Formats: sequence, C-alpha cells, structure tokens
Amino acid sequence: MSVTGPDASHVVPNRVISALGLLALALVWLLDVGTIQPNRIVPGTGHGLVSAVGWGGAALVTAMLAGSILLAFLKVRGRYLILLALVGLSLALLPLLLDVFAARHLPEDAPYARSSIAAGFWCLLFLLSLMLIEILGQLGSRREIQLLLLVVIGGSWLMFLQSDGLESLSLVREFNARPAKFEQAFWTHLALAFGAVAISAALAFGLALKMMRSPGWQRPILGFVSFLQTIPSLAVFGLLIAPLSALVAAFPALEALGIRGIGWTPALLALVAYSLLPMVRNTFVALTEVPENLADAGRGMGMNERQLFFQLKLPLALPVIIEGVRITTIQAIGLTAVAALIGAGGFGSFIFQGLGQAAMDLVLLGALPTIALALLADAVFTMLAASLKPTPATA
Amino acid sequence: MIELKHVTRRFGSTVAVDNINLTIETGEVCVLVGSSGCGKSTTLRMINRLLPHSEGEILVDGEDITTMNPEQLRLNMGYVIQGTGLFPHWTVARNIAMVPQLLKWPRERIDARVHELMTLLDLDPAAHANKYPQQLSGGQAQRVGVARALAADPNILLMDEPFGALDAITRENLQLEMLRIQKQVRKTTVFVTHDIDEALKLATRIAVMDQGRIIQHDTPENILRRPASEFVENLVGKQDRGLKLMSLRPVRELMQAHPEPKIPESGAEGLKEEDSLRLALSVMLWQDAQQVPVFNARGEETGVITRERLIQEGA
Repeated sequence: MSVTGPDASHVVPNRVISALGLLALALVWLLDVGTIQPNRIVPGTGHGLVSAVGWGGAALVTAMLAGSILLAFLKVRGRYLILLALVGLSLALLPLLLDVFAARHLPEDAPYARSSIAAGFWCLLFLLSLMLIEILGQLGSRREIQLLLLVVIGGSWLMFLQSDGLESLSLVREFNARPAKFEQAFWTHLALAFGAVAISAALAFGLALKMMRSPGWQRPILGFVSFLQTIPSLAVFGLLIAPLSALVAAFPALEALGIRGIGWTPALLALVAYSLLPMVRNTFVALTEVPENLADAGRGMGMNERQLFFQLKLPLALPVIIEGVRITTIQAIGLTAVAALIGAGGFGSFIFQGLGQAAMDLVLLGALPTIALALLADAVFTMLAASLKPTPATA
Repeated sequence: MIELKHVTRRFGSTVAVDNINLTIETGEVCVLVGSSGCGKSTTLRMINRLLPHSEGEILVDGEDITTMNPEQLRLNMGYVIQGTGLFPHWTVARNIAMVPQLLKWPRERIDARVHELMTLLDLDPAAHANKYPQQLSGGQAQRVGVARALAADPNILLMDEPFGALDAITRENLQLEMLRIQKQVRKTTVFVTHDIDEALKLATRIAVMDQGRIIQHDTPENILRRPASEFVENLVGKQDRGLKLMSLRPVRELMQAHPEPKIPESGAEGLKEEDSLRLALSVMLWQDAQQVPVFNARGEETGVITRERLIQEGA
C-alpha cells in the first residue's frame, strides 16, 4: 500500500480525483438535483441544489467536494485514507439529500405528489463512485475491504429507502405499488439469466471437448455459434415463437411441461444461443492454450489423458473459463430484460410497462435492479477468477 | 537395461531415426549427442513411448515396451525436460510428489520422500517446499525437475537437454550435482544434449548421432582418441582434444603418492585427488610451478603431481 510504502507516488497530486471532483461540483450546481411531480404522469418542476436542499445542504455538498479536490493535491501522508472516509461517507449518506429535498418541497395536502431524482443527483452519485474506485485503486486495498465498503454503502441506501422520509420518492412509490410483482420479477430474471448461463456452460464445455478431440469440428462449431451471435436479439425472440408454437401443436405433451410459443421457453432458448459464443470460445481457447511442454512433462511422467485433463489443463484453464462465464452472465442479465417483450417476465416487464405508460420511474424500477444485478455478477465472478488464479504473482 | 534393435522412426516421408541399434547397460549414463534435428530427442521419446517407433524393437530389461501399458512404463522412468515442465499451479513439494501421488503412496511416505529428495538436491525444504515454480531461479527449478523425476525411485532416467536453457555457471553446477547424485543412486540414464563437453563430462558412453544414425557409440576417451569419422572428429574439436582428454582423468591417476599421508601446514594450496588433469595443468601454468601437492578429502597431503609426468602421460 502506498500509504505505508516509501515511494514518492503519494506526494504527487492526484489529477483524476481532483478532475472528477471539479466536474461533480460543476454539474451539481448547474443541473437540477430533484423534481417534484403533482402526480405520476405530469412532468415535474426541477429544483437546483440551493432550492432543493437549502443553503446549508448546498454548502455541505460543496465543502465536501472542495475538500476532496484539495486533499487530492495536498502532500499529506495517508491522504487516500482520509479521502476514502470522506467519499465513502458521502456516498453512504447521499440519500439524505433526497430526504431533505422531499421534506422541503413536497406539498402536504397532495397525496399523489411525488419527488424524483434528477440529473444533478445521478451525476453526483456516478462521479463519487468513480472517485471511490480511483481511491481504492490507489490504496491497492484488498477485495474483502472493497466488498465490505460496498455492503456498508448499499446497506445505508436500503435503510434510507425503507424509511418514511423517502416514501414520496417516485421510485419507492412505484415499488410500493407492486412489491409482490417486483419479487416475482427478481426471481424470474435470476432464473432465466442464470439458467441460460448454466445450460450454455454445460453445452459449451461439451462442444469445447468435442473440438479438442476432433479438430475437424472446430470450424463448423465456432462458425455456428458465431452465426447465432449475429442475429439481432429481438429477431431471435420473435423467430422462435412460430416454430415453438408449431412444435407444441404437434406434441401436446410438451404443453404440460410449460413449453409454449411465448414466455420462458423461447426466451431461454434465445439466451442460451447468445451465451454460446463467448462460452465456447473461452473454454476452447483456455483448454488448448495450456503449454505443450507441460502436457509433455505430465504425459512423460506417466499421467494418463484423464489425469492430465483434471490435474493440469482444467486448473490452468479455469480462470479464463470463468471469465467467459462472467461475460456471458452480464450479457444474459441484460438480454433477459429484452425477453420481457415475448412475455418472459423479469425486470424487463417493468421497463416496457413504464415505456407504454410514459412513466419513467417505472422504467427505472426495472432498469436499476438490472444494472445492479449485472454489476454484482461482474464483481462476484471477477473475484472468483482472481481467487482461482493458479499461481501467485512471481516473486 | 535398454536395448534398441533396428529402430526406425518416420514422420511422413522423412526418416528421423534410421535403423539404429543401441544397448544401454544398467547403471550407465548414455549420452546421445548431435546437432539439432539429428534424431536424438526422437530416440529418447521413443523409449518412453511418447512417440511410437515405426519399425524395430525397443526392450526394457528384456521386455518389449509395446506390450506394456504406456503409463505404467513411464511411471518407472524419470523424465526431465528442458525448461523444467514444472506445473505452475503446484508448489515445489506437490510437483516433486507427482509420480508418488499417481502411484497412490501414503501421505507420510510422500512427505518423507519429498523432504529426502529436496535435501539430496541441495534445496532447503523449509525455504522452498511451498514456493511456486516461477518463484525459483532457473537452476533451482531444474533441480526440482530432477527431484520430480527421481521421486518414485525409477530404474531409468530420461533427460532431454535438461540443462540447455541454463547459464554456463548454473549448468556446470548442475552437471557436478548430477555426477554426485549418479554416484549415489546409479540410475540407467539416457541423456540428450548438443553440447559435446557436457557429454564428455557426464557420460559413461556417448552415442554420436547424425541424420538419424548413430555414427559412433563408445566411451568418452575412445570418442576423443579414435573418432570414427570426420564428423565426430569435428564435433569433439580436432585441436582441442588434448585438453579434453586431460579433463576426463583425475589427478589421482598420475600423482606420485607419498608412502604416508602428511598433515600439511595450514594455508597450503594444492589440488584435490578428484580434480582433473586439465585443472592441474592450468594451476601449474598459472603458478609457474614444476609440481603441485595433492590432498585427499580429509585435507591430508597424499602426494604430488609433476609437470613432467603431466606432459608425458596426460593425454
């Protein structure tokens, strides 16, 4: 860690943090922080920083950002630790701004009035997150600490969102109107995305093994999975409806299994088709790129092909295979949102419903959890791959 | 004992190994030497069936290797390759334990064996057992490679240019180490190299190969004194032969022994009995001495070696 290390890097001014801080300062003053809507559909009136949270709140936000810009330039030992505390705390307490905003501006006698988040607040959230990432990078902190920080900040947000102060927030309103549907969408989304990833992982593993055993199959298999990737996703979802309906009509037994022309069946099939390319390619490349001299040594010492595969090739290939699973999972989580179009459910149904009703907050209720899920999957698989790295860094 | 009878190996239409006959006696170190592409590695890899031979017979202790299970055959042959081939995701200890684990030895026996081998190869078990291969120097890694090959105490050791990728000093050290270990364990060894000096130093017998054939199979001394062809003569270095012959023989052979070992004065300098005649000559030339005292392993002076005798009988 550069805090304890004698290297000179921590006396160099950090331009990244100061630039991000400056940008945040400008945007939070220029853009609206929140809006107040008389009801769900009517466009709201925007409020700038001072109007939204008063001079006191504005001063606090400004002081915090100015403080971090200054700290980034100061030649202070341990300044990144101070910055970490400052930015982390700000992120955790950010919903407080919305709380104050709602208390100041929400009319008492209008039950349909709602507050919502505007561009300035989103920018602040985004730029603070970037600052946090930069600080964590400079500190070279361990994964566990990063995860802990994430849990603390996330927990703080959840507490704020559940409190009465933010009850007027449009996002919360939309959620409160359909908690059961939200939960169902969550599980459907997870089941579709992870089900597709699991099925395609198994398929890809088999295909990669087939390609290793018979090199003649490499071109056809890679060609086919690449071809699947080139079809626009909406088209696949649509194209599968007719053949599946015909199939079910021909074999009514399938209907008993829940297979239909629309719904989860075509969605799952399409998701698997899209997941195959990154999965097959990564698995195949990882397994074939194990150095030949290692396989030669293993074979020469008396390992059979099975032992060679499980003791040498698979462990060395695993991080790259996991990387394939990571890419595929993120992609599948995003695509599952689109699958709502053919009635598959999931968070996508809120997005399309919201688009239909011109209710942007309902769109957000679908989009935000999708993004959060993708980010979470990314973090988990990155950690998994790092912990499975076969060898430590060279001494 | 390893016997190759009329062994041929073809890759498509090219003949890599052409009808060779070679007998390697139990406990001897046979070095296959030749330029790259001469078929020496191919020959080695046919012995443990990493490559099948196209024609002929290969017998290990009288048994045709094609009748044996290839994995069983290889488990009884240590295999050391250039660039070590250590598994990067395994620690040093786990790498050395590879064959014993394949043979399903009990845990305690494996641990004891790993410890024993690391000590034999001058690797401190406490410091190195839990390191990963890329944390070792080239020389250390190749020591681990040799330890791994010796782990299950195989009768036969196959070494394919094991020291080829090492710097000169490390290579020299490992060669000496190998001579020392070979004295203790007496493995039937087939060693492939393109370095004739390495061959002369390590071999009990050398097989010089060229274009898939064995040109000459003889002791290092005979290879130097009576090269079978111009090719062999050029390989050993025509002009250099005198000194190379001297480096094959120890001082012990030409020294005039004292009737009784003497206790030398402290600080006296001289040669050890097992030093080569070449070293003795070098020391004499440098010190401009007519004779140099010779000490045994206990540090007692057992004789002297004279310049006159060295010049007359050295090569």
